[in-house]
Amino acid sequence: MGFFLIVLPVIAVLLFMLFKNSIIQHTISLLTSSLLIIIAVYLTTDVMVLGSAHHTALGGIFYIDALSIIVLDIVILIGFMASIYSVSYMETEIKHGKIDRGRLRLYYILMYAFMFTMILALTVKNMGIMWIAIEATTLASAFLVGFYNDKYSLEAAWKYVLICSVGIAIALLGIIFLHLSSIGVLENNQFLDWIALYNNAESLKSPIVKLAFIFILIGFGTKAGLAPMHTWLPDAHSQAPSPISALLSGVLLNSAMYGIIRTVAVVNRNLGSSIYTGRLLIALGILSILTAAIFILTQKDYKRLLAYSSIEHMGIIAVAMGVFTPLSVFGALLHMINHSLTKAMLFLASGNILQKYNTKQISEIKAILKLLPISGTVFLLGLFAIAGTPPFSVFASELSIMVSLFTAKKFVVGGALALLLAIIFAGIAVTLFKMFYGNNQEEELQPGETNKAGTIVIVVLFLVISISGLFIPDELKNLITQAQNIIIGA
Amino acid sequence: MSSFFDSLSILILLSSFILMANKMSKSYIKTFRFQSFLIALAAGIMGIKTITEEGRFDVLVVCLLIIILKVIWIPNILSKAYAKAEYKVEKDFILNIPILILVCCTLVVFTYFSLATIEGINDGMINVQVVNSVLIGLFFMISRRKAIGQIIGFLVIENGLFVTAMFSTQGMPFIVDIGIFVDMITAVMVLGIMVFKINEKFESINIDKLSNLKG
Repeated sequence: MGFFLIVLPVIAVLLFMLFKNSIIQHTISLLTSSLLIIIAVYLTTDVMVLGSAHHTALGGIFYIDALSIIVLDIVILIGFMASIYSVSYMETEIKHGKIDRGRLRLYYILMYAFMFTMILALTVKNMGIMWIAIEATTLASAFLVGFYNDKYSLEAAWKYVLICSVGIAIALLGIIFLHLSSIGVLENNQFLDWIALYNNAESLKSPIVKLAFIFILIGFGTKAGLAPMHTWLPDAHSQAPSPISALLSGVLLNSAMYGIIRTVAVVNRNLGSSIYTGRLLIALGILSILTAAIFILTQKDYKRLLAYSSIEHMGIIAVAMGVFTPLSVFGALLHMINHSLTKAMLFLASGNILQKYNTKQISEIKAILKLLPISGTVFLLGLFAIAGTPPFSVFASELSIMVSLFTAKKFVVGGALALLLAIIFAGIAVTLFKMFYGNNQEEELQPGETNKAGTIVIVVLFLVISISGLFIPDELKNLITQAQNIIIGA
Repeated sequence: MSSFFDSLSILILLSSFILMANKMSKSYIKTFRFQSFLIALAAGIMGIKTITEEGRFDVLVVCLLIIILKVIWIPNILSKAYAKAEYKVEKDFILNIPILILVCCTLVVFTYFSLATIEGINDGMINVQVVNSVLIGLFFMISRRKAIGQIIGFLVIENGLFVTAMFSTQGMPFIVDIGIFVDMITAVMVLGIMVFKINEKFESINIDKLSNLKG
């Protein structure tokens, strides 16, 4: 069953190549993403009961456990939302003359290739193949970032491919060193196998493991958008079509962070403490949050602002992983889910705003609440949510990370984090809230939502993040605890 | 045997220096071809050795792939892209060449001493100083202005990684090696198409022109 997860997007890509009719293409896309959801639900229950799912195909490289299923579910859920949203969004883009109809096919092919690479990265246990899949995510999404083919999007795409490919090449050097540290410990057929590495972590050669961790952190950190390697991220997120921005921010960053988390688990077990990885992760995390805070305060483009907010949240997850207590790891995983859903919702809502006003400049937008009553309201509340206001889910996970910092006696880091989060809240309020005031000067803009299905998606996501802020279902709690035990090894 | 590999690794490192000293985009491509040839040679000899000693022939397959991809196909496609994209010969580097070489020497010395402090890194058959190629490739990328120079820099990084993997661990698992090659082909194609598009929109492949997105 789990095998279909990987095969389905490939079949979808082949079907897109066969059919030229756009109605058929939309149908294939919706069908594939719904089937993926069904398989994901099945696999999730499997993992909940059995703890992990193995497959014997191709030498047993496929492996899913609680940690990968959490990230995998996010990928498939947001992919599903993005595919519903895309139908009307892309039709409007064609109507406005931004792209011609032939490019719709390219859009879907690349989108499902992108989904495929992310699913592959999360379902293998071999670190080498995981690296290949994460590198392939860059290549699959490069033309999606440069989809509009104008000067701005091409510049963003060039930066994206080059910076991420070089970054990920450095991660490969780290993986080579990890492989080197395991020679003489593992059997030939176990090389780079995460489970074997983890089980034999104590006997790996520590000095080389330490070296490997630095390279992997920098490499995957580039892809996850940690400062100071984040420079591609605001460009790519702001220039891509909005459903793709949602995928990049909500899903891609998590896949890279997943690579870091897997490595941290091995390295901490090898070294016997989390001091070494903790210092590096906390330093990079705080630097990311600081960078995001500065740029959010002075931002003029709302999609770029959301992108900087993603850098901030990746920083928070890195800090939480650096603390490495059960509570902080639980918080980090919960934060991953909450940030993805909230940010995907915001990017989809910003797509509606972009299509209504046809500008990304904050200063040119007024009276969103009048023109876009539903997505405007959700966007406003979503901004509160992403800034960490109760009762939304981001608040819950940020609170548990904050508590874990103070119980681990990291008062300076905790204080700095609280201060920076306050600055970011103020920054979002100062720069973005003017979009909601004032009167619309231009007469041509008619009130009303254009993307009906997309708006329903946004509202559903909004309900999810509001409810999960107040209470987390026991099933999810158990799943995250399972994943936390995999990482910490309790 | 190991002294032979040692001298090959020094030659590969030297070829990175030659690359740094190249002035024109055409000579970058030639130097890259030369470096890939040296790597193919190393992989070929190692492949023959693994066949006679362990009966594995995967290293030899990898050697063949290097010859087809890195010695023949990629340099050809890059020369074509270059011929279509740029007619004028213009100065491509920011610092002058002696300074660039000096910086590379500093990089090598720095890497030598920092790797010397790590236990067990040179336990394999060959000294892994060839990891310097990765750093030189990175430095090459930031020292050139044209898109083609950046692609070559990226490929040299990839070469450095490959040799490090081969010399320190006798090759990655076979499936990983194949995957890396597939990724590399796609990367070169994606970058090549992008060079065309950038040339179309900006009427140049000078990366300095890509400076619209800031802040």
